[in-house]
Amino acid sequence: MPSVVEYHRPTNLDEALRLLSQPNTRALGGGTVVVPEARVHRDVGMSLVDLQDLGLEGITVAGTQLTVGSMVRLGDLMIDGRVPELIRDLARRELPSTLRNQATVGGTIALGSGDSVLLAGLLVHGAVVTLRQSGTQVPEDKPLAQSLSDCVGQGIVVSVTIETTGRGAIEGTGRTPADVPIVAAIARRSAEGVRVALTGVGPSPIEVLADDPTAGLEPPSDFRGTGDYRLHLAGVLTERAAASIQGAS
Amino acid sequence: MQIEVTLNEVVRQLEVEPFETLLAVLRREGMVSVRYGSDTGETGASAVLVDGRLVNTDCMLALQAHGHEIITLEWFNHAEMHPIQAAFVATGAMQSGYTTPAMILGTYELLQRIPDPSDEQIRDMLSGILDRETAYVKPVEAVHRAAAILRGDEVEPFGPLVLPPLTDGKNAAVYDPADPAPRASLAVPRLVPSKDVPTMSVVGKPEIKVDAVRLVKGNPAFTDDFSERGQLVAKVLRSPHAHARILDIDDSAATALPGVHAVIHYKNIERIKYASGGQSWPNPYPHDQVSFDNKVRHVGDRVAAVAADTLEIACEALRLIDVTYEVLPAVFDELEAMEPGAPVIHDEDDTTHITDPTRNLVHHIEAQRGDVEAGFAEADHVFEQTFRVHQVQQVPIENHIAVAWLDGDERMVVRTATQVPFHTRRMLAPLIGMEIKDIRVIKPRIGGGFGAKQEMLIEDIVAHLAIRTRRPVKLELTRAEEFMSSRTRHPQTITYKTGVNNDGTLVAQNMRLIGNTGPYGTHAYTVQTVSGLRGLTSYNAQNKRFDCDVVYTNIPVPGAYRGYGAPQAEFALESHLEDVARALGRDPIEFKRQSWVKVGDELDIAPHLGEHAVVDGVLEEYPKVMSNGIEECVAQGMRAIGWHRQDDPRWVSPADRPHIRRGLGFAFCMHGTAIPFLDMGGCSIKINDDGSFNMLIGATDLGTGADTVIGQIAAEVLGVALEDIKVYSSDTDVTPFDTGAYASSTTYISGTAAKLAAEKVRDRIKERAAKMLGVDEPCSIELRDKRAWAPDGSSVSLGDLALDSLHVEDHEQIMGTASHVSPDCPPPFAAQFVELEVDIATGQVTITKMVMAVDCGVAINPITASGQVEGGLAQALGYGHCEEFAFDENGLMINAELGPYKIYRADEMPAIETYLVQTMEDSGPFGAKAVAEIPKDGVAPAIRNAILAATGVAINDLPFTPQRVWTALQSS
Repeated sequence: MPSVVEYHRPTNLDEALRLLSQPNTRALGGGTVVVPEARVHRDVGMSLVDLQDLGLEGITVAGTQLTVGSMVRLGDLMIDGRVPELIRDLARRELPSTLRNQATVGGTIALGSGDSVLLAGLLVHGAVVTLRQSGTQVPEDKPLAQSLSDCVGQGIVVSVTIETTGRGAIEGTGRTPADVPIVAAIARRSAEGVRVALTGVGPSPIEVLADDPTAGLEPPSDFRGTGDYRLHLAGVLTERAAASIQGAS
Repeated sequence: MQIEVTLNEVVRQLEVEPFETLLAVLRREGMVSVRYGSDTGETGASAVLVDGRLVNTDCMLALQAHGHEIITLEWFNHAEMHPIQAAFVATGAMQSGYTTPAMILGTYELLQRIPDPSDEQIRDMLSGILDRETAYVKPVEAVHRAAAILRGDEVEPFGPLVLPPLTDGKNAAVYDPADPAPRASLAVPRLVPSKDVPTMSVVGKPEIKVDAVRLVKGNPAFTDDFSERGQLVAKVLRSPHAHARILDIDDSAATALPGVHAVIHYKNIERIKYASGGQSWPNPYPHDQVSFDNKVRHVGDRVAAVAADTLEIACEALRLIDVTYEVLPAVFDELEAMEPGAPVIHDEDDTTHITDPTRNLVHHIEAQRGDVEAGFAEADHVFEQTFRVHQVQQVPIENHIAVAWLDGDERMVVRTATQVPFHTRRMLAPLIGMEIKDIRVIKPRIGGGFGAKQEMLIEDIVAHLAIRTRRPVKLELTRAEEFMSSRTRHPQTITYKTGVNNDGTLVAQNMRLIGNTGPYGTHAYTVQTVSGLRGLTSYNAQNKRFDCDVVYTNIPVPGAYRGYGAPQAEFALESHLEDVARALGRDPIEFKRQSWVKVGDELDIAPHLGEHAVVDGVLEEYPKVMSNGIEECVAQGMRAIGWHRQDDPRWVSPADRPHIRRGLGFAFCMHGTAIPFLDMGGCSIKINDDGSFNMLIGATDLGTGADTVIGQIAAEVLGVALEDIKVYSSDTDVTPFDTGAYASSTTYISGTAAKLAAEKVRDRIKERAAKMLGVDEPCSIELRDKRAWAPDGSSVSLGDLALDSLHVEDHEQIMGTASHVSPDCPPPFAAQFVELEVDIATGQVTITKMVMAVDCGVAINPITASGQVEGGLAQALGYGHCEEFAFDENGLMINAELGPYKIYRADEMPAIETYLVQTMEDSGPFGAKAVAEIPKDGVAPAIRNAILAATGVAINDLPFTPQRVWTALQSS
C-alpha cells in the first residue's frame, strides 16, 4: 500500500469538508507535519486534502481586531507590520526559516502542540477561531482555548481573530537560545489587564492566572524536564514575563 | 498524476505519484543541488525557492507544487559564477558544500528583500539550514560579502588577520587587561606567525578550495548525484527490540510483492564474522558482527534488507516480512552491564577474543609508568572524582549512502560516502565472497563524516543485494536510521585519582575508565585506548596508570567520532584539575601550566597505549614534544576572551539582571597527529603537456579541504599555482592507498606523501631543465611561476619542458610516486576559552563566546584550517551543552529527529574567534601538524569550569542542560 494514495486540492470549503469526511483523510496546510507523518503510515493509504486553493491567505484589520486566514504562512505573519509585535516575534520563534515559510497558522492551530509559543501568544491576544465543521453551512466562532481542548477534528480552520492592543513579552527556558522552550510564559498587558499563557505544561498551551500560574497544573515529564521542574519554571517565567510588561498598556 | 510547474523559468509538465515529495521529483529531473538530509525539513538541505520563498522539498509533496514557480541552484549556473556563489567561494564558506545550494538560494531571496542585511537577519535566514561543518561563521561573512558586491561596494580580499605574538614562544606573557584584542570580522582567522617559518608562495595562503566550483554550483558531486541505469532501491528492516533472538523470518509475502527483487537476512546470507570499524589490517578483535544475525542487540539493529524497484515498494516489502522474536532482557548502562546477572549480549559461540563474555567485558586495558600507589602514599594531597559522559551523534547532514553494482567485467563497484575506501574494499571482500582485486570502491564528495563514516556500515548490504539481483542497488539511511543504526560517541564513566604535593607537583595520577561500546566492538579498543592516551599524556605526573574496562550494552553502537576518545578524557581531566587547583587555592591556569607538557618532555605513557615503537624496540627513546605554542595560545586567548573580567563582581553579577551569573572557563587541549607507524598515505603526480600536473591521492577529503591542502603542498614544491594541480582522490582502482580520513592524519601523512612525490617530479624537471638550459648542476635550477630558472636568469616554461619530454627528445612521462608513514605523532596544542551566562533561577546556560587559540604548526591554508576549528567548536558545543540520546525504558531512542535532538542553528550560535598560532613542526610537511580534532577537546570542560566560576557549582556529568544545572544549583 503506498503511503499517500490520493491528493485533492478543492477550491471551496464545501468540497474540502466533503473530502475530509472520508476515512484516512487529513487536511494539508503547509505540510511540514502532515506530509512526513502520512508518508510513514503504510498500513493504510492516506488521502490528503490540500487547502491552498481555498482563498484563506488574507490578513485583515478591523478596529483593534486582526483576522488572519488559516493558510497564512508563519513567515508572512512574522513580517506583516499590522500584526502585533509579540505575535510576529513568536511566529519567528516557532520554527526555523524554511519551515516557517511553509507552516500555516491554521495548521499550527490544528496541531495544537503544547510546545507552541505562537499558540500561547494567540491565547493571550484573546484569539477566536473561525471553524467550518463537516455538516454545517455556517462558520462557527470558538475561543482558541476551546478549539484546542476540543480538537479541530474534521473541521477546517478558516481564520483566527485576535486583539491587537497591549504589549506582550515572552520568557522561556530551553537547552539553547533557539530551542523549543521546555516551558515558556507569554504575557500580554492591555486595558483589560494581564493575561498569561504557558507552553510545555500540558498537551496544548494553557492560559493561567498571572498571580497563581501553577494552580491545577500537572505538567508532563520528558527527557528535557520533569513535571516538577516544569512547575518551577512556570512560576519563575510567569513572574518575569509579567514583570517585563509592568506598566505597559 | 500530472503537475505543471515553472522550473527554473521553464514551464514543465511532470508525471508524479501522490506520495512523491518535491525533492524526489526534482532530483529525478536532474536538479541534484536539491539534497536529502531528512524527511521532515529538519536540515534544510532540500530547500528551494517556491514562489520566491525558501522552503523544504523533503516535507512537501510534488503535487503541492502544481501551479507554482520553482527555482533551484541550477538556475544560477552559467560560465561565470553569480556574485553570491563567488562570495561563498572567496570566504571559504563551504566545507563539504552539501547544504551550500540551499544557503545560496536563501541568500538570493534575502538580498532581494534586504540589500544590506544585519547579522541577525542573515542568521535568521540560515536558521532553517543546518550546517555541521562551518558553525555558520563564514557563511554569514559570505552573505555580507555578496550583499556588498551586489550593492556595488568594493570588497577586500579575504584572508587572515596577522597579529604580532604576545610571548617569546616559550614563556607565559603577563596579561594586560588594558591591551584589548584587535577587532575584525569573526570569520577572519587571527594568524600569529612564527619567525621559524619561512615565507612561501602557496603554502600558508588562503587558496580557494579545489572543489569550489563543483560545490558552489551544486554540480554532481555526492554519491546520490550519480545514478546507474536500472538502479534498485534498498531498505533495511530494523529491530524494534533492544535485545532479542530471531526465531524465524518468513519473507514469502515480501518476496511475492511485485517490484521486489531480493530479500536477504540471516537465513540466506552466509555467516561470516567481521568488525565494522574502518581500521588498518588486521582489524582489532573481537569480530563480533555478521551481515545478518539471528540475534538483535539494539533497537535499530539489522534484521533484513530488501531491494525493490522503488522506495515505496521497498518500504511496503519491509512491512510484509514476518519476524518471530524471543525478546530478551536488555541492559544499557555500562556499570550495570558488568554486574552479575546482567543479560549476556554475546552468547554465540563463534565470537572470539571477548575478554569475559559472561560479564559483557569486551576488553580490559592497562598501562602504567612508575608506581602509582607509591605516588599516592607520598603525595601531600590525594583527590578523586568521577565523571560521566554521554552518547551523542556525529550528525553529518548527508546520511550514510552507498550504491553497488557489477560492472561489465562483473567486478563489484561500490560508490559510497566513506572516510575509508581502502579499508572498506578490504573488509567487504570476505563478506561477499569476492577477492579484493575484484572490488572497486569510489568515494565521491562526502557531506560530512566526523568518524561516522569511518566504518564499513552499509556497503555489504548493497553489495549482497547487487549480487542477488545483478542490478545496481542504492541504500540511503533516513535521519532516524542515522541516529539509531549508524555510529555515536562512546559513553564513559571516568574516575580520576590524583596525588599532588603542596607545591603543585603532580605525583601520581590514576585514570579508571569504564567504556560503553554498545552491542558491538567496532572501535571499542582503540577509542578507549586513545582516551587513556589523551587523559594521561597532557600533564607530567611522575607516576601514571590507566585501568580500563570496555563493556557491551544494548544502546545504539558507539564508534569513531571526531576526537576519538579525547573529548571524553579531556572533559574529565580538565574538570578534575580545575577542582584540584581550586582546592589548593591555586589559579587554575597557573596550576595546570606547572605540569602541562612542554618542548622536550616525554610523552611517557604513549608507547604503552598503542604507540608501541619504544616497547617493541623500533625506537630507542620515548617520543617527545618537539613543538609547542601553548603559551602564545594562552596569551592570545586570554586577551580575546577578556580574562580579567572574571574578577569583576559587576560583570559576574550584572545589576540589571539579578538572576544572571557570568563566568569564564578555560581548558588546556592537546591532541595527536596521526598514528605513528600505522597511518600511511600515497600520492602519484605526473606532468601534462601544458606544464600542469595530475595528482592522485588516496586521501579522503570529507569536506575538510584535504584535496586543497595537499594540492597546495605539491604546488609549493613544484613552483606552480594551485590551479595547476588537478587533484583526484579516493578511488581504489586508480589512486594510491591511503588509510583514510581519521586520526588527524591527512595533512601530516598524505601531505608528506604528496611532498615527497612532488619532490621526485621536481628533481626530474630540474634535470631536464638543466639540460635544456645548458646548466651543469640540476640542483641549481629553481622552480617558480611555472618555469624552471637557471642561476643566470634564463628559464624554460614547464609547458615547454613537458612538451619536450612527452613529444620531442628522450621521451618520458615525468612522474613521481611516494608514500609516507611517520614514526612521530606531534601533538597540536590549544587554549580553549568560553564565556557564558547561567540563569540561577532556571538553570539555563547560555554560551555567549568561544575562543580557541590553536598551535597546529603551520596552517597550510589558514581559511580551511580556521573552518576546521569553527566547525569543531560548534560540534563540541553541542556535546557539552545540549546534545544527548534519550531513550524509553525499552531502549528506543525517543529523540531521533533534529530538533528534539538539538544541534545548534545559525541564529543561536555564540561568537566564535579563532587564533592560529604558528610553530614549526619539523616532522610535518612545511611545518604542519593536525587541526581537525583538537577543537572537539576543550569546549565541554571550559563550559563546566565557567559554570563553576560563575556559580561555584561543579557539575561532573554531561551535558549541561537546564534541569541538570538547576538541580545542581539547588543541591549546592
